Amino acid sequence: MKVELYNAISGAMMSRRKMLAGAASVGALGAMGGMGATPAMADAHSNVRAEILKIPGVGMGSPTDADWQKVGELCLGPTKGNVAEGEFEGVELTFMGLNNQNLHNFLFRGFLKPWEAYTGAKINWIDLAQADYNARLQQSIATGTVDFDIIEMGAPFEGDTASRGLLDEMPDWVKEQIEDDDLVGYLQPPVGTWDGKTYRVTIDGDCHTFSYRKDYFGEGGIGGAEVPSTWQQVNQVTKDLVGKEDPLTGLPAHGYLDPLKGWGGFGMYFIANRAAAYNKHPDSPAWLFEPDTMKPMVNNPGWVQAIQDVMDLIAVDGAYPADQINADPGTTAFSQFLAGTGSMLMWWGDVGSNARTSDSSVVGDVVGFGINPASERRYNAVTGEWEEERNEAPQMAYIGWGVYVTSNVSGDEKRRKAAWSAAAHLGGKDLSLWTSAYPSGFQPYRNSHFQYDEWEAAGYDRAFVEDYLGSNADSYNHPNAAIEPRIPGIFQYYSVAEDELSKGFAGQYGSAQETADAIAAAWEAITDQIGRDSQIALYKASLGM
Amino acid sequence: MSSTEGDLLHIVTADDISPGRQKLGKFLIWGSAALIVVVAALQVWRGTATPEAGFANWRPTLYAFLVWAVCLCWAQVLIRGEYGKRVLFVLPAALFVGCMVVFPLIFGLGIAFSDWNLASPDGRKFNGVDNIRQMWTDPFYWNAMTNMVWYVLAILPEYAIAFGLALLLNAQIKARKFFRVAFLMPLMLSPVAVSWMIGKSMLEVRFGPISRLARELGVDSPAFFSSPEMARFIIMAMDAWTFIPFMMIMILAGLQAIPKELSEASKVDGASPWRGFWEITFPLMLPVSITAILIRIIFKLKLADIIINVTSGGPGGATDSVTSFIFREYRDRSNVGYGTLLAMVYLVIIVIAMTILMKIADRWMRPKF
Repeated sequence: MKVELYNAISGAMMSRRKMLAGAASVGALGAMGGMGATPAMADAHSNVRAEILKIPGVGMGSPTDADWQKVGELCLGPTKGNVAEGEFEGVELTFMGLNNQNLHNFLFRGFLKPWEAYTGAKINWIDLAQADYNARLQQSIATGTVDFDIIEMGAPFEGDTASRGLLDEMPDWVKEQIEDDDLVGYLQPPVGTWDGKTYRVTIDGDCHTFSYRKDYFGEGGIGGAEVPSTWQQVNQVTKDLVGKEDPLTGLPAHGYLDPLKGWGGFGMYFIANRAAAYNKHPDSPAWLFEPDTMKPMVNNPGWVQAIQDVMDLIAVDGAYPADQINADPGTTAFSQFLAGTGSMLMWWGDVGSNARTSDSSVVGDVVGFGINPASERRYNAVTGEWEEERNEAPQMAYIGWGVYVTSNVSGDEKRRKAAWSAAAHLGGKDLSLWTSAYPSGFQPYRNSHFQYDEWEAAGYDRAFVEDYLGSNADSYNHPNAAIEPRIPGIFQYYSVAEDELSKGFAGQYGSAQETADAIAAAWEAITDQIGRDSQIALYKASLGM
Repeated sequence: MSSTEGDLLHIVTADDISPGRQKLGKFLIWGSAALIVVVAALQVWRGTATPEAGFANWRPTLYAFLVWAVCLCWAQVLIRGEYGKRVLFVLPAALFVGCMVVFPLIFGLGIAFSDWNLASPDGRKFNGVDNIRQMWTDPFYWNAMTNMVWYVLAILPEYAIAFGLALLLNAQIKARKFFRVAFLMPLMLSPVAVSWMIGKSMLEVRFGPISRLARELGVDSPAFFSSPEMARFIIMAMDAWTFIPFMMIMILAGLQAIPKELSEASKVDGASPWRGFWEITFPLMLPVSITAILIRIIFKLKLADIIINVTSGGPGGATDSVTSFIFREYRDRSNVGYGTLLAMVYLVIIVIAMTILMKIADRWMRPKF
């Protein structure tokens, strides 16, 4: 779970009275002889799940290294099924991952300590800051100095690594150990696979969800009786709100908050939310490039409509807050939406959690969640026609983190098994329940993570968890989820698109079409530079075609 | 025969260098040079032949170079004796500059004329002048160049303000020491801190104190980065605020070095303060002023951090600087070849422009009478 979300929930629910009540019941249980001996816990699997959710206990402060080790120890069962004690004696592996917020690698160290003790292997660590990650990875690949055996990596980089034979194929026993059929819909193949081979132990999920202000909508709300559920409605409401007053702050009311400034490539996900609804046709997984030619779809009518929508709102004085042209996604979420400016936003999970905990947030009690708005019509890139069909397409922005094994170990069966065993331990079904429930930097990503009874039994506020995680679950398992291409250099495409969009939004191009054409031309140049044939092959492989 | 003939005055002992010693010296130089060639050849061979052949990395070549450098220095003494020892005062430094500056520059030129996108499976490919052609038609680069002209021109008002402040601090005012330190404070701040504190916080449109003040003063919706001109001006202002103290302190030092007698003499002759400034202070300050402006131009040409943090070059490229554009091209798009070429061209333009500027300044400062 993201740190902020954990703090939000535990902060909201923990009071002295509740804690005393909890302590009393624990005391009563102790008097009864303890729960551990009762036959109700006969199932070892569920016993482990319940046990680890008590470490350190919801609202009992941030977990420490000792807690991570305890969780790692309790979740060793599946490893013991496949690996004999001391089997990897003398094996040394190098693990490259992140050190964001003192999570990621820090947790992995704790989780893997009992694994190291049991198997006899030793792991050396390369810790990277998020900002250095891309450059370090790309340079390792470009200069042929891949010096790590296991890597924590986002799915968008699979194009850079799997496509070049830098990853080791997952053995079947790992698939069984991690129970990969439990992954939510969009994380099932082709994500994690190349040319039909599986490479990824998923440890995280990602998607954009819709956050809105409940006080704007409903009976007598200034935004209308219903929460907008299509982008057409979103735009109409945004225009209608001009001149009205925000019910919470008394300042001018605003509707949807489009970020109009780039964000190192990540800004592209936001225009893509609109475009996915117009352009992601249920009949085809492709919505950014045509799979046979790599011809950009970004200047087809669906995408142009998305850009036009934003330009329409720019043209309406007061539709956006002042200075919106200089607002990046971070600004729209944290300086605007959470501070009470604007009523609708698309973002990752952090917004929902920060709404309740951040000191600068004023919207904690009035925030609601949903999936990416739909479109009342959709563009069919195959027929070249608009279809008058409602189209929903939640976007799995960034897809989420995974653990991969590099081909460095492929030649040595003992090291290979050790590396995969470590990866499988981190992506285990039970251990992942803990990472989704406690601060870890990772989101829930398995269907089994959405069993709200488990969360409630662990002490969580069911209403909030259901509302918040429900929007994630609905997005993840949507049959028409928009998944970005996992091709080399995908962020280069995003970055150059941001530059062109910035010019378009500043009025330097004549129209949305012209802006989109400029992006398409820049994308064609990148494709040619990286190599069109290889990009086509990799794009198709990433789409599972 | 001695190599010190005709230079006896400066040499304490006349060396008598045997032919054997000379031979050894030459052998050291050529032998170690041959070692580099052999080691480098083995390295290249590995790249073209099997991976098992040659060395795994270029480190052995580096060691061979170090051996050669030591042998070269040693051989100077062997061959030239006392004269060679004198050479040793300069040679190591020259070799150091060669391998730390000249070699990377040549290597950089090689990259600049390549098509090298880190995401491309084909790696680096020499592409001749394609990158220059691309640069020629790249509207983003020329837009950034145009912006740089504006940014550099902004140095003139910055200089005027800095001069004014320096005059003020040079005068007999109260709390002079306090003001000197206070005026220097912005220079001590990192431009990244300035961009967050001022650009992202104080100028924040909703809760920023400057925006609030503007609203109090009757501006309906104060927006500092909405229009291209305004955004560029604010970036200039933030940069100026940081670096005016730098020019000011240089000018102040210059002012304090002017002999008091000169201004006192002009006063006795009946010159007004205005005339005294233009006829005495300003001309005497020209060398310092020119130096301050030239250094400031060099700083200005590197302007990037504030832009990257506050506007990312927007709106629509209005605030983009060459450095911030290269940063995006290089970091966000892994376009190493093209990014390097842009940086090289920029370097050449800077070197030429600075040379011309210094020539002009030199001519201008030469005494007229």
